[in-house]
Amino acid sequence: MLRSCTAGLRSIWALRGRREGAPRLSTDLQPARRLFSTEKVIHKDWALPNPSWSKDLKLLFDQFMKKCEDGSWERLPSYKRRSTQESEDFTTYFLDPKLGEEERLSQAQLFTRGFEDGLGFEYVIFKNNDEKRTVCLFQGGPYLQGVPGLLHGGAMATMIDIALGSCTGGAVMTANLNINFKRPVPLCSVVVINSQLDKLEGRKLFLSCNVRSVDEKTLYSEATGLFIKVDPEKRST
Amino acid sequence: MLRRGFQAAVILGHHGTLPGATHLLPRFNPASAFGSSTESLVSRFCQEMTKSKNYALPNASWGPDMLSLYHEFLEKTKTNGWVRVPSFRSNRDHIQGFKLPLDLSANSDKSDWRLFTRCIEREGQGYEYVIFFQPSEKKSICLFQPGPYLEGVPGFVHGGSLAALIDETFSKTAYLSGEGLLTVNFNIRFKNLIPLGSLAVLNVNVEKIEDQKMYLSCVTQSRDQQTVYAKASGTFLQMHLEEDSSRQ
Repeated sequence: MLRSCTAGLRSIWALRGRREGAPRLSTDLQPARRLFSTEKVIHKDWALPNPSWSKDLKLLFDQFMKKCEDGSWERLPSYKRRSTQESEDFTTYFLDPKLGEEERLSQAQLFTRGFEDGLGFEYVIFKNNDEKRTVCLFQGGPYLQGVPGLLHGGAMATMIDIALGSCTGGAVMTANLNINFKRPVPLCSVVVINSQLDKLEGRKLFLSCNVRSVDEKTLYSEATGLFIKVDPEKRST
Repeated sequence: MLRRGFQAAVILGHHGTLPGATHLLPRFNPASAFGSSTESLVSRFCQEMTKSKNYALPNASWGPDMLSLYHEFLEKTKTNGWVRVPSFRSNRDHIQGFKLPLDLSANSDKSDWRLFTRCIEREGQGYEYVIFFQPSEKKSICLFQPGPYLEGVPGFVHGGSLAALIDETFSKTAYLSGEGLLTVNFNIRFKNLIPLGSLAVLNVNVEKIEDQKMYLSCVTQSRDQQTVYAKASGTFLQMHLEEDSSRQ
């Protein structure tokens, strides 16, 4: 809780700094206000092992880190709040400057990173840039329950949304998701979500994924999704 | 005539548990292989227990929109047969004395396991919601006020968190309408973003029950229905819960 308070304060200071005519960074090409902390603030990367990670998850993580050594794969870092560049792409598009967002946004954090270690979503995504696909290792914790003992369908849907989104780049929004659940996922187990970009049509990205057990013997679900690239020229109103 | 009989039974059930007489009422859907009538499911599932905290009640974080619509529906529970579905930290609290079909899940009770949509304890930070169910029409309304921890696009609700609440509302509606238990298919089309802290209303209907499957639809919109946030559909598998004599 202390962390989110100080982060909130930092973002308000950063905002004031910009209003008082602080020098603009060369990356700041758009007139939008920075609502989040500057790059100098160190964000915790949540896509790294912690004590709640099971043996299965750690083993898979190590296997994929090895694959990263030759550059064919990369591990995607994951923060509670979006990077300033990502935020700017969205803020020019959506936020009405008249609203008093600072207080509200200083508390806001990415949904899936709001849990203490091991209780919610433990996940890491590895990207293969050549093949335009990603692998997401996911361990769902005790706060993600649906039917007693099983992972909530909605928690799986959330992860599928994130896994599919990881195959895209830049500011995108989910338009559609279609998920077929084949078998229930036991709570606190590890699953592997393989996602890929199937087709790109202008601003439309068509993606698909499957969710399997670590030994690949069980297919838990299959899904498709349509994501849309946000057009920085247009506002949503 | 049949419908009025049901409504009367539901109102009775809401105020206290009925003895075995509940099973004497005719089944609502004769084609269904699932014997429990809607009203017996409601009376079993919706008992407002004093042991576990019921989250489907107003708290200090509820905005005026959420509160006023809540009170409107609370009135309807007294007059029109609507039922306010209690909401506990775990679904295990709804099915006390019953066990899940074999091979489905770990039947061991872990006290720290929580229902996903009740995972964020701090009032107003995550999911604030309450579901009202209308047994005679097999439909529900969920009033949803999302907090800052549900953020996706800055300032707005994460699509996945909305999908989860729709799935959850489907799941309660499916169960009360005919023991729909597991999601087999879920489809969602996002239309507009929901600003964090505002009120969204989920309207869920059971469209069809066929071959052991329930088909549900959901439209999520603003209170004045001027903005549609998302449309979703879901298919649930009906599964009968057996009484767990070992635990009673």
